[in-house]
Amino acid sequence: MMQFILQRALWGVLVVMSVVTLVFFLIFVAGDPAVTILGPQARAEQIADFKAKKGLDQPVPEQFLSYLGVMPCIRKDSPKYSSPDGVRGFCGLLQGDLGESYSHHESVANVIGYRLPRTLLLASLAVLFELVIGLTAGIIAALRRNRWSDTAIMFGTFIGISLPTYVTGPIALLLFAFLLGWFPYGGYGVDPLDHIYHALLPALILAIAGAATYARVMRGELIETLRHDHVRTAKAKGMPMPQVIRKHAIRNALLPIATLIGLSLPFLVGGAIITEKIFAWPGLGLLTIESIESLDAPVIMAVVLMFGIAVQVGNLLADIAVAALDPRIRLSD
Amino acid sequence: MDSRAFRRFRRNKGALVGLFLVIFVTALGLLGPWLAPYDPVEQFTDRLLLANGLPAGPGVEPGHWLGGDILARDELSRLLSGARVSMLVAYLATALAVLIGVALGLLSGYVGGRTDTYLMRLVDVVLSMPFLLIAIVMQRVFDAPGIWTICIVLGVLSWTTLARVTRAKTMEARELDYIQAARALGLRHFRILARHVLPNVVGPIIAIATIMVARMIIAESALSFLNLGVRPPTASWGSMLNESQSLLLGLPRLTVYPALLISMAVFGFNLFGEGLRDAFDPKD
Repeated sequence: MMQFILQRALWGVLVVMSVVTLVFFLIFVAGDPAVTILGPQARAEQIADFKAKKGLDQPVPEQFLSYLGVMPCIRKDSPKYSSPDGVRGFCGLLQGDLGESYSHHESVANVIGYRLPRTLLLASLAVLFELVIGLTAGIIAALRRNRWSDTAIMFGTFIGISLPTYVTGPIALLLFAFLLGWFPYGGYGVDPLDHIYHALLPALILAIAGAATYARVMRGELIETLRHDHVRTAKAKGMPMPQVIRKHAIRNALLPIATLIGLSLPFLVGGAIITEKIFAWPGLGLLTIESIESLDAPVIMAVVLMFGIAVQVGNLLADIAVAALDPRIRLSD
Repeated sequence: MDSRAFRRFRRNKGALVGLFLVIFVTALGLLGPWLAPYDPVEQFTDRLLLANGLPAGPGVEPGHWLGGDILARDELSRLLSGARVSMLVAYLATALAVLIGVALGLLSGYVGGRTDTYLMRLVDVVLSMPFLLIAIVMQRVFDAPGIWTICIVLGVLSWTTLARVTRAKTMEARELDYIQAARALGLRHFRILARHVLPNVVGPIIAIATIMVARMIIAESALSFLNLGVRPPTASWGSMLNESQSLLLGLPRLTVYPALLISMAVFGFNLFGEGLRDAFDPKD
């Protein structure tokens, strides 16, 4: 088990490193950050000045090595660039330094630290909705198999996975914000309770597809498990049905759900770009699209790094959760 | 598809509805631009623009059944010609993803060992790539208008599921007696893969590819919705949704039409794909 985790973690680090490398060079293929940040009206000396300050005038491979922290700092706006004795320090990933945002005039760590809790609030609410709605619907459908309530739920889940957020989002705004006035038009609110109130509608929209998926998986697994010998034994020895379902059937069915939650982790951490845009929710999704559009390299790198780590951690957690829930599975290579 | 699978499929009402919808939207994609009564980018400022600056509603002008859009272009013609773009991108991107995913999945599952390990890590790398950044990079590198770029971006980034499934099925098939026998006989590997392994994995691939078309329709519209898809004035369902977003509260119909078409297409491909999956791989 330990060896498996270590091996997977090592591969994970390699995968994240290759993604980081690829993306770093892609940014410079996409364009010149100095030009996109300063705008088309910027004068040549302004651009040259910006480039010198950020180390953008250096060759890209050198910028990359400096970004990683294996070569001395080349950013003149970093305190590590010069010291009294003239020895340049390091200011890269290895030193835990994510750099300064080009467009926010703030450290990347601050920018992320500001946005991440908001995305996490939205994401945790969405997961809560997904699980509560999805699992309930799935259990009901499985227990009332092939009756009309099952058919209705299954039809509903089909609609659910077929409606993209950019369709449901605007329609929900039209209905619940404009016509009924139950929810705000978007934004983040002013105090903690207000934040949650503002997050409800986008979280619901975000949860539709997930809830539909969980309901389908739950139904399938439950139907499968209810046929197993141990469930029949439990019924035969006179255990009341609700208890059989709770203790024996659902526990088994939770396995694939755990896997799915693990695999959805990166999308929760990475933020929901479209939903955040529709509801003007200032989270990581919105930051991602802003930074990519303006080629704010340090922010893009940080977001990509987080997303990549989340993919790896999510995969690993899913494997571990399955092993923990199913005593038959022993993790090995 | 063998006859049992075909019978199972025919008994599944949902799958038949799905098939019908798939045929319908595919026909829209094929014939749409010819069925369109007007040029989708022509502005009829004289007829479709009212005195208050808003476009004419459905049926106000004879011949313009769905009225005009924000820029006084014929809404129906835009929806019909947008169908071509949306369906073309969805099908082509899926084809590309199938090509890459099946080839790498077969290779990974059949050869195994180190090749398998490296290919599966490549899957991890692709899964961790930021979709939007790649889209923007491609848009800037190829200065060509959208459609082909979008197909390549979507295809190159979405073969991972297919590769994983093909790999798993190939590993199962590799152990079958007759394939072992073919290997023992010393048949060429390519021939074994094409003639003996591929037929074993093709069922689930078709099912996944069908559902993938639905995902591609969503992805194309999502890109257009974020202004990274086809460029104006070209119409696609996603770009129409994007253009109408700012007028959502004033002119909800301009949002509803493309939204309905996208949902219908996605719904159809999902139902059809799910029906195919059940037909190929019956659980009951």
